[in-house]
Amino acid sequence: MSPKIWVHAEIFDGTVSEVSLELLTKARELAPVLGGAAIEATLLGSAIESEAARLAGYGASRVYAADASELEMYSPRPYALALSYLAALHKPDIYLFGATSTGSSLGPAVAARLKTGMAAHCVDLRINGDKKLAALVPSFGGRVIGEILCPGSSPQMASVKPGIFKASEAAAGRVTVERVPPEAWADANPKGSLKPLAIVKHPPRGMPIAEAQVIVCAGSGIGGEENWRLIERLAESLGGAAACTRPVLDEGWCEEGRMIGTSGRSVRPKLYIGFGVSGATHHVCGMNEAGVIINVNRDEATPIFEVSDISVEADVNAILPRLYEALRR
Amino acid sequence: MAYRVAVCVKPVPDPNYYGHVGIDPVKKTITRAGVPNIFNPADKNALEAALRLREPGSGYAAAISMSPPEGAEILREALAMGADEAYLLCDRAFAGADTLATSYALCQGLRKIESEKGLPFDFIFCGAESADGATAQVSSQLGEWFGYPQLWNVFSLEERGGVFMLKTKLENGCMEWEAKPPMVLGVARELNKPRFISAMGVVKSRKKPLVTWGRSDLPGADDGYLGLAGSPTKAGDIFTPDIRREGRRLSGSPDEIVAGMLSVIRASGAAAGV
Amino acid sequence: MHFFEFTEEQNMLRKAAREFAETEVAPRAAEWDERDECPLDVFKKLGELGANGVFVPEKYGGPGLGHVERAIFIEEISRHSAGLGMALMTHHLGVYPILRSGSEEQKEKYLPDLCSGERFAGLAITEPGGGSDFMGQKATGERRDGKWVLNGRKCFITNSHIADVTVATVKTGVDDKGRSKLSAFIVEKGAPGFAPGRKEHKLGLRASVTGDVVFNETTLDDKALLGPEGGGARLGMEGVSEVGRAGMSAICVGILRGCLEEAIKFANERILYGKPIAKIQAIQFEIAKIRTDYEAARLLTYYAAGLKDAGKPCATEVATAKYFATEASVRSAKSTMDLMGGYGIINEYPVGRFLRDALTSIPSGGTSHIMQVVMANGTLNDFHA
Repeated sequence: MSPKIWVHAEIFDGTVSEVSLELLTKARELAPVLGGAAIEATLLGSAIESEAARLAGYGASRVYAADASELEMYSPRPYALALSYLAALHKPDIYLFGATSTGSSLGPAVAARLKTGMAAHCVDLRINGDKKLAALVPSFGGRVIGEILCPGSSPQMASVKPGIFKASEAAAGRVTVERVPPEAWADANPKGSLKPLAIVKHPPRGMPIAEAQVIVCAGSGIGGEENWRLIERLAESLGGAAACTRPVLDEGWCEEGRMIGTSGRSVRPKLYIGFGVSGATHHVCGMNEAGVIINVNRDEATPIFEVSDISVEADVNAILPRLYEALRR
Repeated sequence: MAYRVAVCVKPVPDPNYYGHVGIDPVKKTITRAGVPNIFNPADKNALEAALRLREPGSGYAAAISMSPPEGAEILREALAMGADEAYLLCDRAFAGADTLATSYALCQGLRKIESEKGLPFDFIFCGAESADGATAQVSSQLGEWFGYPQLWNVFSLEERGGVFMLKTKLENGCMEWEAKPPMVLGVARELNKPRFISAMGVVKSRKKPLVTWGRSDLPGADDGYLGLAGSPTKAGDIFTPDIRREGRRLSGSPDEIVAGMLSVIRASGAAAGV
Repeated sequence: MHFFEFTEEQNMLRKAAREFAETEVAPRAAEWDERDECPLDVFKKLGELGANGVFVPEKYGGPGLGHVERAIFIEEISRHSAGLGMALMTHHLGVYPILRSGSEEQKEKYLPDLCSGERFAGLAITEPGGGSDFMGQKATGERRDGKWVLNGRKCFITNSHIADVTVATVKTGVDDKGRSKLSAFIVEKGAPGFAPGRKEHKLGLRASVTGDVVFNETTLDDKALLGPEGGGARLGMEGVSEVGRAGMSAICVGILRGCLEEAIKFANERILYGKPIAKIQAIQFEIAKIRTDYEAARLLTYYAAGLKDAGKPCATEVATAKYFATEASVRSAKSTMDLMGGYGIINEYPVGRFLRDALTSIPSGGTSHIMQVVMANGTLNDFHA
């Protein structure tokens, strides 16, 4: 039997999340190394059947879909029961999750039910010489990268943050959709109770950083809030998104989704321009895949210059307003 | 309502000292000499949540940690903050645990407390993630070992007549939940502001028990799930990534610098219409 | 003989105090200094932390710790705001005599609120004529119709405008030999004829309020008398010499640690000729001197506090600690400024404030000259050739 790579296709707002497509794309890269592994997906939700076709467009040849009204909203217990039931039945070799706010909890719950190992928040996935999954995980704020292996149990599980891989469509292929009835995994002995009530959306102000080709990032040396507002306007005039590091987020000037780093988002824009960014490893870890990196910092010895293509040793106040004015002209 | 609450806590290396972390090039192990431990920040929020649930009634709050002996220090802090009892799971047999083996050992320890007290916990709190590993998996896996509903990244928790209204973080929003105990919750830093340890708390903690349990104190546990042997994940190669770039310097007057930056921005082709 | 070390419990307390200071004090310290105001909200939180009544027994609402723990709190607060440290240490000066000499009724009435942060205390001894001429106080307390009537003006009184409870000494008569008899009273905010007067505009320690308090026909009943009639001199003297000066030493240990940490941070970050100035020997000498000042001040201060907790006489040791720590903090703040070059005089950096706070610490509780007199008297008494 040929090996199988599974991807859990996360549904948000009725459609498959981008990260799931990123994982399918990565799975297509890993499959040949495993000797032509099959790529399959799991899909839970309500009225989501049309999404199976979308998964096929990214390389899934089989989709296990549970389509039921009680699965409409994510809930960790029934979801984990369903996925662990499916995995125990079909025995994938590798099972990948998006390290999203729901996947980061669902994945490990499934792993615990299957008594298998899961590598969290990976920055890359490889197949090693033993044909095993080697998941690359940053620790100590990205200062150290370690391989996590799961050699003796199956499936080998991993979660990957959105934005680490790039999604690209596959040549159209055939997809088999296997519908699974919810009765199959019902909780025989439920304890406590937990009901999802609602999903409340806070649409982000301005362009989300994950989608931006240009990111202008403010770091601890940015100065006051007026400079943050200038960063936002500069990003807008470049058709990009404003982002920040932890100290700026702590000032409360913007929402959490704008923070780049190990505890925030990983980004890979074509262009990154940092102002007053010091280069703490947990930030660098989330931006070093950017195409071109420019940084402005008044400290000539700042670590951020070591990971920059262009370094500008200057006061933020001397450059930021002038650059903005120059772009407005 | 007098709830019985458990909190899982953990010592982590102080992030202010990450600059001291390196790799031993020969042994391929992480060197962290001179890096002190701190109370994992999110675990303090977890403890605060536990103390608030316990306080209105009589209740009971136990702190538990699976860690080397130095973990006792943060358990003493937990007692000074207000926990009633503290338990340290400390044995070579527990060492080298990944999240699955860690959550199993914690489950076994908590089950033992429950059986000694003759009452189950209503809530089990963890920090949503730890500052060092940040795998953020323990609370979700603990929920499965208990077979309880679990939620992760909880940033709001309110009681309405025995029913709990919770909110968890989503990428661009949040999810609202209604729950009844028992449950396992991984709490986000935004849930609350942990109280400071007071001198009165320190003095009161003198009389509170800090119990250390080893492998032999958990006779019911299965060695197949404990420590290194019970950890399906193994550490492979480790390395420090080389992400250095050329770092060409732009110099001159501010206007000259801005002109230089503009040409780099244009050359990148990233910004339309510039 | 074992070397000096803190207990595990004291270390935990320090960690707690430090976390509080870094979160609640450090971010606002410059603002309090600039606005010359005492942050009552944070002062109240210090009560919840157990700092306000640190040496008060549990039955009166304190944690029942001692003067070493008091110095830990004051040092940690003063590391970021010596002014708030001053307000706290002065509050203790009001609490201490009530604990030491108060009747059971007075202790139960005042101490719980003074511990919890509900109310703040002060001590009013010094007069325009000077503080060190202790017995020359001119404010009076007269016996009239079974009451005490107080008149006079006290000056340089820290917490003057914020204290809810002020312990004051006044002259209530003369003894057979014609010497003043001083008595202490507990005066509550709002007592008739009692009010704060002028507020001083201080050089440093500006997160504490210092000014006059005025008695104008302030009528108090016997319940306000603290300790025996005529017992005010002993009570006031002990408070100042064993608690007040010890507090000033602890404040300066905090300032010294601030100097040390700021100096190290700057020396590591400031790059000159391609390397941090910490690599330059001339800078290393400064750092070594600041370290010496800090270590010596710390040892003297905690040693004296330890003597106090052990119930041993400690006035000479406290004076020594106060003399050394205050002068050392002035010296080290100046060294830190020198090390920082032009940055040292920029108010975005706290070192200028450290220097002003250090200078302001010298006269509080007796100048360096007075300390030397106290030390000399003690020394002439203690040592025999």
